[in-house]
Amino acid sequence: MFVDFFYKLKETGVPVSPTAFLTLHKALDKGLVRSLDEFYTSARTILVKSERYFDLFDQVFAHHFKGAEMPDHEGFELDELARALLDSWLKNPKEIADALGIDEKDLKNLSPEELIEYFKDRLKEQTEEHHGGSKWIGTGGTSPVGHSGYHPGGMRVGGVSRNRSAVKVAMDRRYKDYSLSGPLTQAMMGEALKRLRNLVPVGPKDQVNIDETIYQTMKNAGEIEIVFDRDLRDRLKVIIAIDNGGWSMDPYVTVVQTLFDYTRAQFKDVKTYFFHNTIYSTLWEDAPRYKKPFRMENLTRIDPETRIIIVGDASMAPYELMAADGSIHLEERSGKRSIDCLQFLADTFSHCVWLNPISRNMWDYTQTILAIGNIFPMYELSIDGLEKAVTHLMSK
Amino acid sequence: MLDTEKNKKFIGATQYVLDEELASIVNVSMALEMPLLLKGEPGTGKTMLAYAIAESLQMPLIVLNVKSSMKLVEALYQYDTLTRLNDSRFSDSTRDVSNIEDYIKMGKIGQAFTADVRTVLLIDEIDKADTDFQDDMLDVLDQMEFDIIEIDKVVKTKYRPVIIITSNAKKDLSDPFLGRCNFHHIAFPDPKMMRRIIHVHFPNLDSDLVETAIDTFYRLRELDAVEKRPATRELINWIRALDADPDFKPKKLLKGNVPFLGVLFKKSQDYGKALQQTERRRLF
Repeated sequence: MFVDFFYKLKETGVPVSPTAFLTLHKALDKGLVRSLDEFYTSARTILVKSERYFDLFDQVFAHHFKGAEMPDHEGFELDELARALLDSWLKNPKEIADALGIDEKDLKNLSPEELIEYFKDRLKEQTEEHHGGSKWIGTGGTSPVGHSGYHPGGMRVGGVSRNRSAVKVAMDRRYKDYSLSGPLTQAMMGEALKRLRNLVPVGPKDQVNIDETIYQTMKNAGEIEIVFDRDLRDRLKVIIAIDNGGWSMDPYVTVVQTLFDYTRAQFKDVKTYFFHNTIYSTLWEDAPRYKKPFRMENLTRIDPETRIIIVGDASMAPYELMAADGSIHLEERSGKRSIDCLQFLADTFSHCVWLNPISRNMWDYTQTILAIGNIFPMYELSIDGLEKAVTHLMSK
Repeated sequence: MLDTEKNKKFIGATQYVLDEELASIVNVSMALEMPLLLKGEPGTGKTMLAYAIAESLQMPLIVLNVKSSMKLVEALYQYDTLTRLNDSRFSDSTRDVSNIEDYIKMGKIGQAFTADVRTVLLIDEIDKADTDFQDDMLDVLDQMEFDIIEIDKVVKTKYRPVIIITSNAKKDLSDPFLGRCNFHHIAFPDPKMMRRIIHVHFPNLDSDLVETAIDTFYRLRELDAVEKRPATRELINWIRALDADPDFKPKKLLKGNVPFLGVLFKKSQDYGKALQQTERRRLF
């Protein structure tokens, strides 16, 4: 019956439906499944509908049929972070040791498991005394995975082997890479942003409206009446404001760059501004942020229907956001609180979103993210987040 | 349906290298009469699978290429009002103007449903269309029938077609839609599999050339910051190009001299990057 197996899948977060479960039984009933291998493939193809869950399925399968260890899901996020840290560690132990303020030599003799434990403890400490987006928390998801990296203690992580038995295949966790949300590519962004369009008729009436023509012709008792329409053009104005300052955004520069390139190609009327950490009285038209200032007051002259997309990690010291002279740049101190400037932006434009490259489950740890999230609808800079943001931007 | 037909099993085709896992997934889906949704990188053979099934089971293949502006009705049937209007004004055709059914043309899905034999229906790149398209298709796939509104006639399947749906994973499909499909994700073939695939396409090719070409290909795929990585199709074309070039020696590849990069990298940015990196680093 495999009811336990089914519920185990559900528990671990694989979205399985009873209908699919019944279908699986139909397959069993028809004699389509004659071995554990076939059960593995059939169950996966019928129950699991996205490659993102293939890895979880593999783990549950291995657990259920072989008693393999289940991952601890409560500590899962921390686990992933620690693992990312381990990967970076394998690549460049010195850099990490310096960043964490520990001695490289002390850790040399630890096994990878001990290392992970150690990193976890460090991370716990960090989340408690968090100062706005610690680099290691931030880079958690983006750190490249180095399978054959160098470990001072002389140990390799990962490695590929392929076996025929289903349980072994499942234990291989071939789909591990798919379980993390994939990187944003230009094509994916294109799909998400395609809906960000506001088509309005412009120009001469030179398009034949066939449906209307037929209707009018019928009304005319068959005497042909051709109806013309104006061309539909995209007249949406978009402003993108990108946080390009400081190391806290560094890991996301490529992602933001892709977004930036794409919007340039997609929209005619797109303006890009830059800022550092948060917005005070000025946005900058040039990336180094000193040549071409753009005063916030001027924004009131812009069409209030303009869609505002702000990209930033929203992580900073709380005073930068809350204090009247919070800016770390002297010339930007205008006596206005940044949070008021942001509120002004949100009040002026009805369609604003904030895209945050930091993964959503880390938001709760940073005060300023929560504060800004109260002003703007905030979305993750991922495919899902982007889609939601676009839906919000296009809502009436 | 004849018993022999029902027991037909898919075991691969002449130009398609099939792994066991996929074969059993196809067979399960066929037996359950459920559509099979295939996802995966471009060039992993999603579309080719449908061709291979049609070839090996000798069923006619009907391909529905989904376009972004497509409405489901277009895929089901079309009511040709213009021809009817024309006929009514200049009655010089053999069609009966008062009979609307004469002006109904079956779309691709309609053709698959009304065919006199079991067919393979390939719905290619469904993610291109709106979510409306998928939602509308739910009932059609569920009931395996649709309604022609103009003449109030229900079209039922004579033989449930083998439905293969592909998606490039640009967008996630809606949950209810996924619920009605079986799902498989085709991973990019590993070098071993790739050798078999190349062998199927070029049985008589010099093994030196194949080895070095595949080796180079996988290294090129790993270049950083490439937007569209070359896939199987590109590799096959590239090998064809290398084979056709009388001046080409496999040794050249080993030295880092990679000709015809344009066959592998189709985007000018990618091409530039690949050229730069192969030349500068002498990667190979």
